[in-house]
Order: sequence, then structure tokens, then C-alpha cells
Amino acid sequence: MKKNKLMHLKLCFQQDGNKVKFNSWYISSLFISIVVAIPILTVFSSFFEETTNYFEIIKNTFLYEYIFNSLILLFGVLLLTFFFGVGCAYLVSFYDFPGAKFFKWALILSFAVPAYIYAYSLTAFFENYGTLYSILKSLFGDGNYNKQIPKFDGMFGAILSISFSLFGYVYVLTRASFHYQSQNLIELGQNLGFSKRRSFFSIILPSARPAIVAGLALVAMETLSDFGAVSFFGISTLTTGIYNSWVSFDDLAFANQLSFFLLLFIFGLFFLENISRRKAQYHTPFRGGIKTKIKTKLSGLYAISAFSLCSLIFFLSFIFPVLQMMYWTVIFPKNYIDLNISGLLLNTIYLVFLTGLLLILFAFLSNYGNRVTKSKFLNLLSIFSISGYAVPGIILAVAFISFISWFDNTVINFLKFNPIKKVFIGSIIGLVTVYFIRFYSLAFNGIKTGYERINRSIDESSYLLGYSKFKTFLGIHIPYLKNSIFLIGILIAIEVIKELPITLILRPFNFETFATTAYVFASQDLLEAAAVPSLFLILIASSFILLTSRYILKD
Amino acid sequence: MMNNFFEIENVSFAAGGKNKVNNVNLTIKNEGDIVCVLGPSGIGKTTILRTIAGLEKIDKGKIILKNKILSSKDKHVEPEDRNISLSFQENCLFPHYSVEKNIELGLNRKTGKKKKLNPKDIIKFLNLEKILNKYPHEISAGEAQRSALARSLVSQPDLLLLDEPLSNVDQSFKEEIQVELKQILTNSKITTIIVTHDSYEAFYLGSKCAIILDGQIKQYDDPYNVYHFPNSVQVVNFLNRGILIPAKVTGENSLENDDLGTIEGNFIKHYPKGSNVKLLLQPEDLEHDDKSNLKLEVVDRKFRGTNFIYTLKTPSNTLIPVFVHSHHIHQHEIDEKFGIKRPIHIDHIVCF
Repeated sequence: MKKNKLMHLKLCFQQDGNKVKFNSWYISSLFISIVVAIPILTVFSSFFEETTNYFEIIKNTFLYEYIFNSLILLFGVLLLTFFFGVGCAYLVSFYDFPGAKFFKWALILSFAVPAYIYAYSLTAFFENYGTLYSILKSLFGDGNYNKQIPKFDGMFGAILSISFSLFGYVYVLTRASFHYQSQNLIELGQNLGFSKRRSFFSIILPSARPAIVAGLALVAMETLSDFGAVSFFGISTLTTGIYNSWVSFDDLAFANQLSFFLLLFIFGLFFLENISRRKAQYHTPFRGGIKTKIKTKLSGLYAISAFSLCSLIFFLSFIFPVLQMMYWTVIFPKNYIDLNISGLLLNTIYLVFLTGLLLILFAFLSNYGNRVTKSKFLNLLSIFSISGYAVPGIILAVAFISFISWFDNTVINFLKFNPIKKVFIGSIIGLVTVYFIRFYSLAFNGIKTGYERINRSIDESSYLLGYSKFKTFLGIHIPYLKNSIFLIGILIAIEVIKELPITLILRPFNFETFATTAYVFASQDLLEAAAVPSLFLILIASSFILLTSRYILKD
Repeated sequence: MMNNFFEIENVSFAAGGKNKVNNVNLTIKNEGDIVCVLGPSGIGKTTILRTIAGLEKIDKGKIILKNKILSSKDKHVEPEDRNISLSFQENCLFPHYSVEKNIELGLNRKTGKKKKLNPKDIIKFLNLEKILNKYPHEISAGEAQRSALARSLVSQPDLLLLDEPLSNVDQSFKEEIQVELKQILTNSKITTIIVTHDSYEAFYLGSKCAIILDGQIKQYDDPYNVYHFPNSVQVVNFLNRGILIPAKVTGENSLENDDLGTIEGNFIKHYPKGSNVKLLLQPEDLEHDDKSNLKLEVVDRKFRGTNFIYTLKTPSNTLIPVFVHSHHIHQHEIDEKFGIKRPIHIDHIVCF
């Protein structure tokens, strides 16, 4: 144990001759790993803490319901996202029909609509005296339409909302896999006399399986993490259980114990996704580039069917919530006027800028450290530090509060320093720290992918031309990676804009974003008022998605 | 006492924690000398260059350039502070800069050379004018290699390291470049170490050649000596320029082989009369003579443009290569008999 500590110290402070050099790469990577480790360790340590009676009550009443509901939700969402994602990816990749090129990128706009906003739209449209009722009334006059209008609420509503919001993951990854799928493989099927249907089931689908599994694993992680949509529909899942045990019963220890169960699920999926991703690399034919796929031209009924299917999914996943929110914004203009849009926009920009800057800076430090030192230990630290993306936002937020409270009550109290609770809880610092943990993998992997394209001999050539490591970083890496930085910045912005549970729990008093404003209105049953912030959120996220669509559709 | 320009003293070269080449001693006496390192693939030639450049560290020995220790057990001068340039075998151009900008980046280094190289001349000689505005992904492997070479040359380092510099260059253009390259390196007095597996390239460009085999430098000598006086059976086998046949020393200047009879010439190393030796027989050692009574069977004939290499079978089933100019009037087909001029005379007799 002592030896390990010494070795670690040695790594952080390298001796060069008589001078001891401060190894910033190890320090920064270690720092990030410790920050990321805090919520995970807090959740695991919760089993040694005492809980209130709420634990017993829940165990005897709702715990199994939480788990059961989470599983039902998961199953339903996986089924729908599989059909939506794979179906659309297959159509746009292999067939030429009117609008195919448009749908290729239009379908990713669904990423801009968070599940909770979809849930508001769904409810608003189908509820008693809702939008559909108004449409029917204006078309056919007064009538008792409420009985005929189907109600998409409860579990079914949540499954639909989450599915339309998340099927993009399956669509993007499957489409990329279809895109890189060898044309030779398809031609081979034709030579063997396979029908289109047999080719699809025997060749195309199996070879895209790792990508589909990776997409579904991401969907599963997000579904289990979802808080906004399920809480809106009043479904008791593990995430709402965590939130309630913290908010209603003030029992952080039990919230953490519930988080433990959820984390077990999530880590299982995390590993499944990782394994699938690793396998997914192998069938990509890099040598000689990609042979352009010959698309089958559809005509007549087939073309109409393909167009209708893609249109329907595009309409339901994006146009429908946008129209619903626009409709309300137009018919209730007071909500628009009353809302402090510039304030919300400034808050959002502030968070995006601060989080993006920190994430990109540390991701660069860590990646460059890995590259320069070629250290396996550093690499291991980096892998650990990106695991934050697998942990649901709500768990991160609650665990972060638990940790800060514990740290404040023990260490800070012991040292007789000023309490740090106020610095980290209900403050921008705390909020950005947890955003950092949650989205670090996005920045780290983005920079890493960019770096992987720069051969190491490029760095060495630079050194040998007399450029120092710092000049190489500034003159070679930064210009080369500027597209990656731009892309990562945009992706971080999209995530931060849409993020709900962390912001909701950790935001400072009176500090709102579009997401929290929409949630607060919706939770007060003021869906019309939730429309304006929701609409702004969707529009900002959509424009960012369009800016990056070229990259998103690439891999 | 005059010091050597560059020295490697008892260094073992390692890559990935594994020793590749052991206890190397190599000296470049004068500035502007060109040394070629020859050896089969995977033997550690590139590791040597990377270590000299400072990209790998050493555990023992010293690497000294212009009387300054660059690498030792306790010292390691960083690559950017060595004024050594390495041109990699694979494409190492900066992908986001044009070829022209890549070459310009080589001008960053402050060189103490009196005779400055003109980048335009280098661009011209390497035939890069047409691709200056292109990006690395838009050019061929050969063009990329030439561009990297140009970048290294314009930096005018104290020591230039070239790793298989012409391996991707078209054969038709290769010889032309070799001539120009040698001229530029000699005129600008750039001391160079070239790693190659092409012995012809090494013999032409190098003022000295080092042969690396089995993790050691087996021979370090000028190209003529390496070719004509290989110092070990391994070097003979590596150069693949002849065969070893059994013979018995019969006198001060003669040997006897069962198939070829008496062979005369000057021994480069003394062997007592009656010794059984292995004689190095190179393709140009034997002469064709249709009138000779020493006839051997043709088993193969390779046309090499300027010459033919006949493979002849002796009565004891030894296969002997014989070099014949392609303008030679009488061509022999396979299975025909091929006459060897007698008495056989070899200028330098190399035996083991």
C-alpha cells in the first residue's frame, strides 16, 4: 500500500537531474478522475449509512414497482426506437425515393426535442379540451369529442415521448454502419441470388448489429436516466424514486441506495455498449475508401410508402412538438411577453460557455498528457474519468450534494474552515462541476478522436524541426483540431441546453434556464406557459444540430 | 587531436522495452560524410535513427554530436534542441498544411551553416513544383516522401537522418533523385545517416556502410569493402551477392574446387596450404567462354536489362550465379551447357 502511494507520488513529481519537475499531466488527470469518482463512490458508500423509516416503507411498498416500471419503460422504448431507428436508417441508406436526402439529416432533428417537452406536447394535444379538441371543434363545431380522443398519458405516453426523443441514437449509429457497409457484401448477396428481404436479414442486419446494439444501449441508459418525462406522467421509476426520497423525505442516504440499483443496470449497459462499439470498428473497410453504395430507386407505391413512413416519423418526432409549442405561443402571447427570454438566454449562454471552456480545456490537457507521456496509468485514469456519462444526471446531482454535505460536516468542520456548502450547492460552481462530470466523456472522446487522426510521427517531425512541445501543441494540434473543438463545443451546448435534473437540483436560487422554466411551468400544470421556453429550447438546439449535422452523420 | 563529428559509444538501442541493437559503436569522422545503415526489416534500424534523434532514451553509452553529449544514461537532450532532422519512412507531413507550408516549416531552425540551401532549388530537384499548393491527402506516397525530404533538407540540420527516404519513389525517378540528393548533401556538407534495405542505394549514397544483423553492427566499412570483402558469412548471406562453395587452399594464390578446378587470385586473408575453406563466389567472378571445356548446365536465366544472371548447376549439384552482359552474342537456354573460362581468376579471394 505504502509502495503504491510512493509510486504515485513519483509519477506526479518526476525527477530530472537534481530538479524535481511538477508533472501537470498526472495532476490534472488525477484531479478529473477524483472529481468524477466522487458521485460514484458516494453512491456505493451509502450502504454503510443509516436511512430513515422511508427505506422500510418504500421497500415494502414501492421499490418493486420502481424496478418493474423502469423495466417496462425500458422494454417499450427499446422496441420502438429499434423499429424507428433501424427502419429509417435502412430506407435512407439503401433506397432512393422522394425526400430521401432530406430525411437523411432531418431525422436527426429529433435530438433537439427533450423527452419532457415531447411529453408536454403529447398531453397538450390529446388532453381534454386540448389542441386536438380545438381542431375538431373548429372543423365540426361543438361536440363531445373528449371521449373519442385517445389519451397518451401514463406509461404509454412516457414510452412514446422518450422513444421519439431518443430514436436518433439508433438511427445515427445504424445509418453510419449501413453507410460503411461494404457494397461488395451486398453485391455478394445478389450474386448468391438472395432476395432483398433475405439480403436484409442475412447480410445487412447482422453486420450492423454492433452499431444497433450500441445505439440501443445508449437509448437504454438515457431511458433509465430520464426524469422529466416520467415525473410529468407521474410514473414511479427509480429516477423519480431517487428524486422523491431526496425532495419529499429528505433522505439522501436512501436516494443514494436507490441510485445504486439504477447504477447496476446502467453499468451493465455501459459495458454492453462499449463491447459493441469495439466490435463495430472491425467491419469498417478503411482501405481503399468506401465504395459508393448503389441505391435502389423506388417508384409507385413503394416510393410513396417509404416517403410516408419517413415523413410520419419526422413529423411525429420533430414537427409535431414544434407546432404544438408554436400554437400555444401564438394563442397565448402573454406568456411570451411575460417571459424574460433574454435573461434565460444569457443564463444558458453563461452555462454553455463556462462548461464548454472547462470541458475542452481539461479534455485537451488529459489527451495531450496521454499522448506525450504514453503512460498506461494515465490512460487508465482517463478511461475512469469518462465514466460520468453513464451515471444519470439525477444521481450525479444527489450524490454530489451528499458528498459536499458529508465533506462539510466532517473535514471542513474538523479543520474549522468556513463551510463550503454554499459554494457548491445552489451555485454556478456546483452546477458546472456536475455538468463537467456528466459531459466530460463527450469532450474527452471528441478530442481523442481528433488526436487519433494525427499520427504520432507528426508530433515527432515537429520536434525534429525544432518546435517545442508547447509550440507543437499551438501550431500543429490546435489548428488541426479546430473542427473537432467546434463540434465538441456545439455538442456540449446542445446537452447543456437540454439538461434538466442537474440544473433543477443544483441551480442557484432564481437562476433559470429554458429547460427548468419549462419544467417548473409544466409541473404547475401551466403547459401553455411551458410552450415558450420549450419552443426556444428546441429552436436553439435544432440550429446547433443543423450546424453539426455533417459531422453527426459522418460517424 | 581531431575529434570525430559524430559518435555512438557502446549504446544499446531499445524500442518498446525490448533491446533491438546491442553495444553499437559508430563514428562519423568528418562533417558532410554520408553513412548508410543496411539491414533486414525489423532489425532495429529505425530505432537507431529515433534514438539518435532523441525520440527514444538510452540506458548506457553515449551519443555525441560536435563534442556535445546528446544522450547518455543521465542526460537526454530533447529532440527539438538537437538540431537533428529525421525524415520518416511513412507520411509525416502536417495534414492541415499545404506541401509548400510544410516545407516552409523546415526553415524555422536557425542553422549555423555558412552555405545556405535555397528551398526553391530543393523543390525543383525533388520535382515538387506542381504539388506545392496541394494538401498531403491529395498527393501520392512518393510525393509525400519527397516533400518530407525537402522539409528535412531545407532545415539544414547538423545531422540528417533519412529512414528509407526513397522507398516510395518510382523506380524511374529514383536514380535521378539519388544523384541529386548526393550532390546536395555533399555540397551543403550535411552529415547524413541513411537507413535503407536497398544495398545499391547504400553503396551509391554512402561513404560508409554499416551492416546490422542479429542485433549487432557486423561490418562498418566503405561500400567497396563491404561488397568485395564481407567480413562474415552472415554479411555474405544478407547481401545475397554470391555463394559459398567448398575449396581447398593449394598455394599462396590458389585454391581447388571439385567442380571448377583451380581458382587463382589474391587472398585477402592468409590461409595455410591444405586448409578447407568456404570460398565466396560472386556472379562477376566467372567469365563465359563457349570454347572452354568446363561446361555447366543452365538451370535458370534472369534477364536484368543490362545483363543476364545465369544459374548453373555443377556436377555436385551446387547452384552458381554467373553474370553476363545482355549484349553478349550467345544466349543459352535452360538445360543447355554453359562454358566457363579457365583458368578461373578472382581478383580478391574471400574465404571463411
